[in-house]
Amino acid sequence: MNSSTPGAVRVLVGMLGLDQHEVGSLAVAGMLRDAGMEVIYLGRFNTPAAIVRAAIDEDADVIGISTHSWEYIEYLPELMNALSKAHCDAAVVLGGSVITASDRDQLLEMGVAAIFGAGSASQDIVAALRTLGATRRAGLARG
Amino acid sequence: MTTPEPTAGTLAQGMSAHRSRSGVPLKGFYGASDARDVDEAPGAFAFTRGRRADPAPVGGWIQRGLSGEGDPTRSNEQFRYLISQGQTGLNFIVDAPTQALLDPDHPLAVNAVGTQGVSLCHKQDFLQLLRDLPLDRITVSTSMTNGLFALTAVYVAARELGFAVDKLRGSVLQLPFYGEDVTYAVHVPFEGRVRMSCDVMEFCAKEMPRFHSFVEDTYFFSESGLNAVEEMALGFVEIRYLVREMLKRGVPIDSFAPRIAIVVNCGMDFFEEVSKLRATRRLFAKMMRDEFGAIDPRSWSVAIASHTSGLSLTAQQPANNIVRGTLQALSLVLGGASAIEISGFDEAFRTPSEDAHRLGLRTQQIIELETGITSVVDPLGGSHYVEALTSAMEGRIMAMIREIEGRGPPGDLIESGWFRNFFEGTIARYWSEIESGQRKVVGVNAHTVPPAEDMLLRDIAETKIRPYRDRIEQVREFKRRRDIGHVREALAHVYTTARGSGNLVMPVVAAFDSEATIGEISGTIRQAYGAPYDAHGMVSPP
Repeated sequence: MNSSTPGAVRVLVGMLGLDQHEVGSLAVAGMLRDAGMEVIYLGRFNTPAAIVRAAIDEDADVIGISTHSWEYIEYLPELMNALSKAHCDAAVVLGGSVITASDRDQLLEMGVAAIFGAGSASQDIVAALRTLGATRRAGLARG
Repeated sequence: MTTPEPTAGTLAQGMSAHRSRSGVPLKGFYGASDARDVDEAPGAFAFTRGRRADPAPVGGWIQRGLSGEGDPTRSNEQFRYLISQGQTGLNFIVDAPTQALLDPDHPLAVNAVGTQGVSLCHKQDFLQLLRDLPLDRITVSTSMTNGLFALTAVYVAARELGFAVDKLRGSVLQLPFYGEDVTYAVHVPFEGRVRMSCDVMEFCAKEMPRFHSFVEDTYFFSESGLNAVEEMALGFVEIRYLVREMLKRGVPIDSFAPRIAIVVNCGMDFFEEVSKLRATRRLFAKMMRDEFGAIDPRSWSVAIASHTSGLSLTAQQPANNIVRGTLQALSLVLGGASAIEISGFDEAFRTPSEDAHRLGLRTQQIIELETGITSVVDPLGGSHYVEALTSAMEGRIMAMIREIEGRGPPGDLIESGWFRNFFEGTIARYWSEIESGQRKVVGVNAHTVPPAEDMLLRDIAETKIRPYRDRIEQVREFKRRRDIGHVREALAHVYTTARGSGNLVMPVVAAFDSEATIGEISGTIRQAYGAPYDAHGMVSPP
């Protein structure tokens, strides 16, 4: 079921490495689709390189990484570097209840656009992604 | 399809004053006319009231926690500590690469080695993991996706450590149906997964008669937001399929049925969880006797272990999870569970800590030693409400089993993604219930506090387990030093056996003896079933 509208925010949703707890990832993907976004669902078993490739191929506005393992701690710096090397301007958003307060600061420092932990309301996630999508589109329009 | 189609179990949406969580309509109170006329004794068919007639002298259930982290040496220390603390069984979980049957030196494993369980790869690991443990006195249960690798690991270790393999007690999971969709994909085709399960069951029926060769695990997939009826219906569909496969092989039902066990989830609907255990025992007994013709009473009475729901735990106000675990454990004791693990109170935000493991064990010890609840078998038996709910659950589970089986061969449903769609629907339903407030969760959508005030037990989340990168080099070194000729020869034997119809257990044991690894042996089996050696296309056969 695809209820997205033309010009909808394009969001890549995926997980990194061997993190196999997919419940959160699927729940968020469904929620974003219901909010009218175009979700490209990459699912499990991605490397940072694969995410970057998909983000470019799919012209994603936002890369949403779901995490239920600690692998993000090691993978996020690699992902941010790879994006910057590939001149990919998609915004990176990370979600998962394993992300702690001290990680959050480091991740934002690294250039992660937003972090959603336990208790994030879906309307807040949707609003943040719409803003990030609109910001990227405006940047593209300005060239 | 984005939501589960309505079935006996899925019509319901959350718990209300008038319905149980899985949709059983509830009255304001129950009287004698509501309960079926039960004149059943504990320890007798249909085992609704429990597997044993008398209260066990101590507790009556195996008290354990899920454990295992880092490398085998570290996990072995953890196991010895838990045994010294009074734990009567081990249940070890392996890390994400091992669950996926990948070696630590696989590129995707680099950030996951040893963080969510113990990293296992080759024979020396199995010996190190289980050394200096009284394997003749404790049960060794395994929380590993693939039963063939779990069984051969335990077998090799016990044999080398000098224990009589035919006396071993413990268990392996068999999850050929749903594991691929919702937890740890091993990328072996369905037919191969079923074959590995049946090979283990057939081997154990002859060689390891005390070992539970088939634990149906309804825990992991029901964490996708399934209700109790859906959980047990899907579990029974898998049990029934594997039993029929065994009968097709000509293995007598009474040679393996006594060693089937079920590990269930346990959520927060207290009486429904009690009734679920009672209904499950009754359904299993009737199925084994009346449908599959088992005549040994041990085939009729199924042991039910439980792991309390991680999904029911909250990252908000984590101390509340201690209360949730206690209530869940209480419902399990009242329902007659044979073994209990309480999810760590910190599970919503980290792989459970040592403190959380210990607290889970202490919770059970308090119930056992201080409350007097265990003095009488099935203390809720005869309660008008519990008996009525047990019968209602039984009827609904059976109706959903029939409905799923009526859809055609389960293998086709799996390969066509029907179950995966079903799980996606239950996940969406669960979150929408919480989001809408229909399902109340304290600390999440009721009685919340600002994050700044939510600090109790919070510090425990900051202690994270880093990947055991050293182990990657150690495994590379292990692979360099072995006799690769022996390894290739043993893998070739695994391959030809997998292509044919022989039992895979001893060829896999022989491959471990040749110093082949889990990743290599599983890759060989994948190839025999026409799948790539490595689903991720990153490593090649040795």
